[in-house]
Amino acid sequence: MTYPLLSIQQVEKHFGNVSAVSGVTLDVQENEFFALLGASGSGKTTLLRMLAGFEALTAGDILLEGTSIAQLPPNRRPVNLMFQSYALFPHMNVAKNIAYGLEMDKLPKQEINAEVEKILDVVQLTQLAKRKPEQLSGGQRQRVALARALIKRPKVLLLDEPLGALDKKLRSDMQLELKRLQHEFGITFIMVTHDQEEALVMADRIAIMQDGGLLQVGTPNDIYERPQTRFAADFIGVMNFLPVTLSGDTLQAANGITITSTQTIDLPNGSAAVAAIRPERLHVDTQLDNNLAGDVVNIAYHGLDLLLHIKTTLSDKPIISRMTADVAERHCPTIGQQINLGWSAKDTRIFPA
Amino acid sequence: MKTDRRPLVLISPALLWLFGLMVVPCLLILVVAFFRRGVYGGIEYTWTLENIALVFDPLYFGIFMKSAAIAGLAAGIACVLGYAAAYAIASMPRRHQPMLLFFAVLPFWSNYLVRSYAWIVLLNREGLIANLARWIGFDGELPKMLYTEPAVVIGLIYNYLPFVILSCYAPLSRLNPEIAEASRDLGASAWTTFRRITLPRTVVGIATGFVFVFVLSIGNFVTPALLGGGQFQMIGNLVYAQFLTANDWPFGAALSMVLIIIMLGLLLLQAVITERASGGKAYTDG
Amino acid sequence: MERHTLMADRNTYRLMLLIIGIVFAFLYIPISVLVALSFNEGGLPTAWTGFSVKWYGALWQNDEILQAARNTLFVAIFSTILSTILGSLLAVGVEIRRRNGKWLETIIFAPMIIPDIVLAIALLSFFSLLGVKMGLHTIIVSHVVFNLAFVCAVVRARLKNFDWAIVEASADLGASTITTLIRVILPVLMPAVLAGALLAFTLSVDEFIIAFFTAGAGRSSITLPMQIYAMIRFGVTPEINALATLVMAVSVVALALSQRLNRGGLPGQ
Repeated sequence: MTYPLLSIQQVEKHFGNVSAVSGVTLDVQENEFFALLGASGSGKTTLLRMLAGFEALTAGDILLEGTSIAQLPPNRRPVNLMFQSYALFPHMNVAKNIAYGLEMDKLPKQEINAEVEKILDVVQLTQLAKRKPEQLSGGQRQRVALARALIKRPKVLLLDEPLGALDKKLRSDMQLELKRLQHEFGITFIMVTHDQEEALVMADRIAIMQDGGLLQVGTPNDIYERPQTRFAADFIGVMNFLPVTLSGDTLQAANGITITSTQTIDLPNGSAAVAAIRPERLHVDTQLDNNLAGDVVNIAYHGLDLLLHIKTTLSDKPIISRMTADVAERHCPTIGQQINLGWSAKDTRIFPA
Repeated sequence: MKTDRRPLVLISPALLWLFGLMVVPCLLILVVAFFRRGVYGGIEYTWTLENIALVFDPLYFGIFMKSAAIAGLAAGIACVLGYAAAYAIASMPRRHQPMLLFFAVLPFWSNYLVRSYAWIVLLNREGLIANLARWIGFDGELPKMLYTEPAVVIGLIYNYLPFVILSCYAPLSRLNPEIAEASRDLGASAWTTFRRITLPRTVVGIATGFVFVFVLSIGNFVTPALLGGGQFQMIGNLVYAQFLTANDWPFGAALSMVLIIIMLGLLLLQAVITERASGGKAYTDG
Repeated sequence: MERHTLMADRNTYRLMLLIIGIVFAFLYIPISVLVALSFNEGGLPTAWTGFSVKWYGALWQNDEILQAARNTLFVAIFSTILSTILGSLLAVGVEIRRRNGKWLETIIFAPMIIPDIVLAIALLSFFSLLGVKMGLHTIIVSHVVFNLAFVCAVVRARLKNFDWAIVEASADLGASTITTLIRVILPVLMPAVLAGALLAFTLSVDEFIIAFFTAGAGRSSITLPMQIYAMIRFGVTPEINALATLVMAVSVVALALSQRLNRGGLPGQ
């Protein structure tokens, strides 16, 4: 029988009466880039710290290659953590920081030096080996922290908001860099983040956490296109919600407008529900399964795309439609203009109200 | 849990030290105050309230009141001077403030006895001020300056002024200048702005300074002994005499107990005031 | 434009300068006179008879003062060592715990604000009742009481800006608790520990009241401040100006050094 690399089984964590993590069960495979995504207070960091060994489990077990590591102290676990603050040792230079972990393993000095040199090259810090952390930029510190954790070749590398402290431009560079390194080292990464975009871009699989539990686990595509709950739909990307009432196979929206969906929901006839549609699924001036008219109230530029805010009779909040640059050029939308939107039945998701 | 025991190993040696050599001795004073004085000094172990009653005997209580008056006077003047100095420092350019503050507090770091002694040199009958007076042509009889009450008050102010400057500067430096600017913008004069905006937000520093100077002064026995020349007694001198010369420990303990209660009461009050005031902290952070 | 904390137009600004001038004069004239006098050949404030260091030389000849200085050094060194160890450990322990009860905070804070006279009396009656023979050793243990609180405060101040994640990082990279203490916590805290030790040393050298009460009878355990007190009270000689200047210089230098040490703080501070 083969085991998953890491198996989290019915893990619970209570702080006094407060339950931070409740009944989380999850397997992470070898070589996977896994993201724990959630808002602050969702329990994602607590779960990560339990994997690292900094929080004791209240109940449950954590298996690494089939063997429990739940009782091992952090310094005995073949798992390393890259801290959110990077936690570089301020009194040691870059090379010393990176060598620290191998020194703890009592490796011979020459071997340590060779390894440090190798990894300095990989993260492009060779020139800065003698610098103290305070003399480095945020991005350089981040790479030192990464190198320091990677050099131990852990079975699993845990990353706590790895890009949180970086500015936006640097962040997107580092997203690709992290993926490259993960590939190069062939190490399983588990990353905690509150940034859904980051999770979608980087991870092979994502677990959305809320109130200490797992809401949904899946590939970025699963999570984005087929959110299982209204919360997940709202949390990931931008989503339009329209209040509706179930009536037979169709959805009854305000003003007698009917919305169709290929999805079915197990609720009695007449119950309230919400229909959800992604902005990029709303097409301007295209007759599709569902059609709707409204007034443009705002136009926001997002890089190449435009986001149109359209006031309709179906909801209090304006509906948001994403328009790509070339479409925008053809339509030239203006504020106050009336506009027709169409979308297919397969793009309507339904959630209980 | 395992991880919680480690800190206890770290803190218990120091805590034991503080417990054995601070808490227990202080409690001891409370106990001794209720015993009778032995015939040849020392302690006779029978309970009595006589010592406490004696503290409120007009003779001794008068000394208490006198000490409080002197301490209050010193603290009051020190607060006026200290606040003015702190305000002046806080209104200087930002980059000069640390240095000014440093030099305002520097004398505080030198030895207390030396600082008191410096005033003996100044106030002495043959001292600098007397010489200066003669030099500018004053040849009448100079009033006695050293070994008087004002000398004690000046000595106390001199010794504790840096402390008041520090405690007043802290809230002043945290003031958001835009709040005062807003007040001026809304039509208030500089004086009204100070009275209605700046002073209320920084009065905590004055309270802290006052309490500390008062507490340190009322129990002081060095300054009265050196600058008062033993001409009159303050409560600290009285306590000192009970323990080291009169050998009446229980009475000394009773005096100390009352003194401690006054001091701790005031310090507690100050702590409460500070805690109250820190309620609006988010606002003051500029 | 230079940013001011408080608004000041030209006239108030001048007033402020005047206030600073007056207060600084009040603070510095007395001790300056003292220092000047210590170099006065005649030794008296009546007249300046010429610059001389002869009173400093006289100190060197005075056996009582030398003995007192030796005692002071002895007390200061031992109480500094003890209080630095106890205070630093206390600071680390308290900061690791983070959530400390009110009583714990109070008991740690108390030695710094308890008036010396209270502690002095309490310790005197305590030692007397226990029948402890008093001397330099009782001064040392008494000085440790307030010194450890000051060391603790200095080290804690540093720990407030301490990134505890580096302790976890050390464990995560395979270090044991002891290794982490020696290789990570201690080196990072070292400036604060040294600053605390210097502060403790200075406080101990300067401390008079508690030493006075807990020294016991006899000349053998007289410290420098006690010697100064005796000299001021019972016969002022010109030597004392020199002694006072020296003592002042030592404490100011030590404390300035302590501040300096502690300022080369952590990165990003």
